[in-house]
Amino acid sequence: MPESFDIVIVGGGHNGLVAATYLARGGRRVLVLERRSTVGGPVTTEEFVPGFRGPTGASVCGRLRPEVLEDLNLAKRGVQFIPAEPEVVAVGDGPALRIFRNVPKTQAELARFSQKDADTYPRFVEFLSRFAAALDPILAMPPPDIASPSLAELTGLLGRALRFRRLGKRAMQQMLRLPPMAIRDFLNEWFETELLKASYAVDALTGTFEGPWSPGTAFGLVPQFLPDGHGARSAFVRGGMGSLADALAKAARDAGATIRTDAEVVHINSADGRVTGVELAGGETIGAQAVASNADPKRTFLHLVDPEELSPEFLLHIRNFEMNGVVAKVNFALAGPPKLPAAGDGVPPHFRVCPSLEYIERAYDDAKYGQASGKPVLDVFVPTVVDPDLAPPGMHVMSTQVQYTPYALRRGGWDTEREKLADRVVTILADHIPGFERLVLGRQILTPLDLEARFGLTEGHIYHGEMTLDQSLFLRPVPGWSRYRTPIDGLYLCGSGAHPGGGITGAPGWNAAREILKDWPRRGR
Amino acid sequence: MAQRYDAIVIGGGHNGLVTAAYLARARKKVVVLERRHVLGGAAVTEELYPGFKFTVCSYVCSLLRPQIIRDLDLPSHGFEVIPQESSFTPLPDGRYLFYHGSEEDTFQAVAKFSRRDAEAMPRFGRLMARMAKFIAPTLTMTPPDVGSLNPSELRKLLALNKQVKTLTEDELYTFARLMTMSAADYLDEWFETDVVKASLCSSGIIGTLLGPRSPGTAYVLMHHYMGEIDGAYRSWGYVRGGMGMVSEAIARAARQFGAEIRVNAEVRRILVRNGRAIGVELASGEKIYAKVIASGADPKRTFLKLIEKSDLPADFVRGIENFKIEGSSGKVNLALKEAPSFSCLPGNGVHLQGAISLGPSVDYLEKAYDDAKYGDYSHRPYVDMCVPSTLDPTLAPPGKHIMSCFIQYAPYSLRKGTWEERREEFGETVLDTIEEYIPSIRNIILHRQFLSPWDLEQMIGLTGGNIFHGELTPDQLLFLRPTPGWAQYRMPLKGLYLCGSGAHPGGGVMGAPGLNAAREILRDWALLRV
Repeated sequence: MPESFDIVIVGGGHNGLVAATYLARGGRRVLVLERRSTVGGPVTTEEFVPGFRGPTGASVCGRLRPEVLEDLNLAKRGVQFIPAEPEVVAVGDGPALRIFRNVPKTQAELARFSQKDADTYPRFVEFLSRFAAALDPILAMPPPDIASPSLAELTGLLGRALRFRRLGKRAMQQMLRLPPMAIRDFLNEWFETELLKASYAVDALTGTFEGPWSPGTAFGLVPQFLPDGHGARSAFVRGGMGSLADALAKAARDAGATIRTDAEVVHINSADGRVTGVELAGGETIGAQAVASNADPKRTFLHLVDPEELSPEFLLHIRNFEMNGVVAKVNFALAGPPKLPAAGDGVPPHFRVCPSLEYIERAYDDAKYGQASGKPVLDVFVPTVVDPDLAPPGMHVMSTQVQYTPYALRRGGWDTEREKLADRVVTILADHIPGFERLVLGRQILTPLDLEARFGLTEGHIYHGEMTLDQSLFLRPVPGWSRYRTPIDGLYLCGSGAHPGGGITGAPGWNAAREILKDWPRRGR
Repeated sequence: MAQRYDAIVIGGGHNGLVTAAYLARARKKVVVLERRHVLGGAAVTEELYPGFKFTVCSYVCSLLRPQIIRDLDLPSHGFEVIPQESSFTPLPDGRYLFYHGSEEDTFQAVAKFSRRDAEAMPRFGRLMARMAKFIAPTLTMTPPDVGSLNPSELRKLLALNKQVKTLTEDELYTFARLMTMSAADYLDEWFETDVVKASLCSSGIIGTLLGPRSPGTAYVLMHHYMGEIDGAYRSWGYVRGGMGMVSEAIARAARQFGAEIRVNAEVRRILVRNGRAIGVELASGEKIYAKVIASGADPKRTFLKLIEKSDLPADFVRGIENFKIEGSSGKVNLALKEAPSFSCLPGNGVHLQGAISLGPSVDYLEKAYDDAKYGDYSHRPYVDMCVPSTLDPTLAPPGKHIMSCFIQYAPYSLRKGTWEERREEFGETVLDTIEEYIPSIRNIILHRQFLSPWDLEQMIGLTGGNIFHGELTPDQLLFLRPTPGWAQYRMPLKGLYLCGSGAHPGGGVMGAPGLNAAREILRDWALLRV
């Protein structure tokens, strides 16, 4: 193995693996260094109770970019997406609402609650779908260089603006109006069914430290409506999320990249403003012409890089980058199927406890004052419904995403709060699943503190930083440094801390790889 | 007998009066029709009790466009601003934050809490002033019709772009962040002292149904730095004679140019024929006709009460129905037999002359907001208080005072009960809060007036009791105000214009909507489009 590589990628998360593949295909010698024994970061499957394998990070796949899906031949590499059907069941007080991928089916279901909403539903889906489709290209390119856009960029920008304009003046105006709105206000303009609104609010707010009343949250709903070419919304991966990570690693290796696990990078070396390589725990140094960090911006710039290499302004911005994670996970090993009478027969593979917008807002209120929600929002996945091999026959894995569980607690710490949190989750689930407590054979609790320790996610933030408007596009992660490059020449960001942010899309990795290759001619020696 | 004018202005609020003055100055025959017996809308002074002039709603002036002051020569009509330069925030523990206008004094005051914050304050102020300077010219611009491919609209976009280009890259980013961040988060980056942050945050929440942690409130921080009095930014001031004198001075200017102003003349509906607004009908049944009808009433009142829905495009009506106009503020006005005394700084001192904030921490403000979200008034409200009679003796008999208290939050829609039922209880809650800082307050009250948003609606005609004629959130600003496609003062009926705060640039006592509307009306007249 050569001692020097063209590019070292710090962290074998899914974005790092995607970047590695494209870089290797672009002819570069790439080395991925992963601290853990397995790649994928929070895209992983682990045996959390003997015999039971579950997602310790993401439960389902997000909107994987169609280009990445195709280019990396993930289908041929054994990745099988299994969409949850119904897509989600919204559970509150009273009958649950099933939301299907199929619009007419959802309309029929909605009609049980409100005929008016049933009639409006297709228009809602159409409006957001058109918006998402128009937005799509922006996700697959670096944010514009605000200060001095090149002519190519200006024409590109104009093209994008015209694309929006071609949707019709009114539609365009409605789309311009949407991003700063509170998701509650936006949804109240369309619907009256509380469960429907609450479920969409959960979609828009997952992983975000805001509530439905917060302005700017409506925008979080748009990416949920990206065209179907993007993997599938709320899709499980057969064999668990780890299969996706494995396939990504295989694609990278097949392209010629080297992946080393159990290799923790403790320092990114640089001199005179240029990157020179990395240092591992244990002292080994590896030289490289470029380093792409898949770690989040805080970890990268405050722990791995020499502070003298960065300006005080840049460091201040990074310190101010909002990262307070609000998501915890509780995985359950269940002796039998968790039945939800409110949802009808059978076990829904994906359901959420979100009785109303106010329920979500009150959960957020608690977090504002530094406490875990007394009545948290639960987004629950039961992968064994579609993928039974994850548990012994007849038994089940239930993975619960809990919100809001702020990393920074004002009183006490997560070590003492951990069990209380899980107990709270059990109590809520027991309300909807008769006999739930008796089903539980074992449980695993991952608070934001645990997510930080396990996956290196600073402050347990699953998206490497808040995805609010003020930390999006040309403001992510730091104003002026939103195009994957950093103040240190040869150091790049390729993870969710860069545009277009988190979710399992592969977009940051792909975009970063292209930019690194673009810069290469003036870099290579 | 039907009367014919060139223009009718519905509502004698300050914006409507500005429009009337500019139209009259251009030799148009104008009549202003005001429902109440007194002019000014929410910029009004009323002698509710002999000798005591209550500045009933609005209480400070700062954003009134200098152009209007100059064009209408308002000082010659009695308009005079007394600068309000100090800020006093008492704390429950007996400490307080108090500074005058000077940078040195502010430094000392803040340094008592944190030297770091004291050093940051001037830098912060300068940045806000730079941002405000960038925004200020846009207040008197007509918003471009975004999405229009019309060359004149594209020219407007380019003009706006030129404005944007005056910013450095850093300033551009700052602007983007101010538009999207919460006041609390933005201030967290600058300051460490809670009371410093709280005192700055409070300007971010005035008149809104948002809390200091709500994204977008950082923008309003900047808005409040736009005050220009004699060229100095962030200088708020009292108007001699109360805020009613702003309206009165504008009215005098309008009359001097030949405008007719009628009070006790409530417009019941706008008369429409063949898609044109042709006049109005008063509550008395009297009909008045004109080529131009400019409404200074808020968008919901104008389009949902004064006009038949069937006369307006369905989309437009839907947009107006979606326009957020929930009021969130109350007012407590008191006549006092002597100057109030704060337990943390007893006596009648300079600290009583400026802005007084009862809102000791960011959490306090946020918790006050939480109550409002769920349909109740804040049980520990934020009180923005002033005692203008300390600088303007015309407002009260010698030795006595009037105290104006602006309250957040008091949501228009209560979940339990009605405002009529709960007004007293609300007022008492406010007095309880004041009593924590001024123990003798209840003993020195001679007269009191409690105003809920419902009262503001009943009294002044503000739908929802919203002081800004609609929330000032980004989805309702600029080319989106009051609704997309109708942000240039022209409304869907020929001859009908919106000239109040429901149009760009929104609320506050700016006069800008009135000025911009007048400009568009005169332009249309010149192009014979009227």
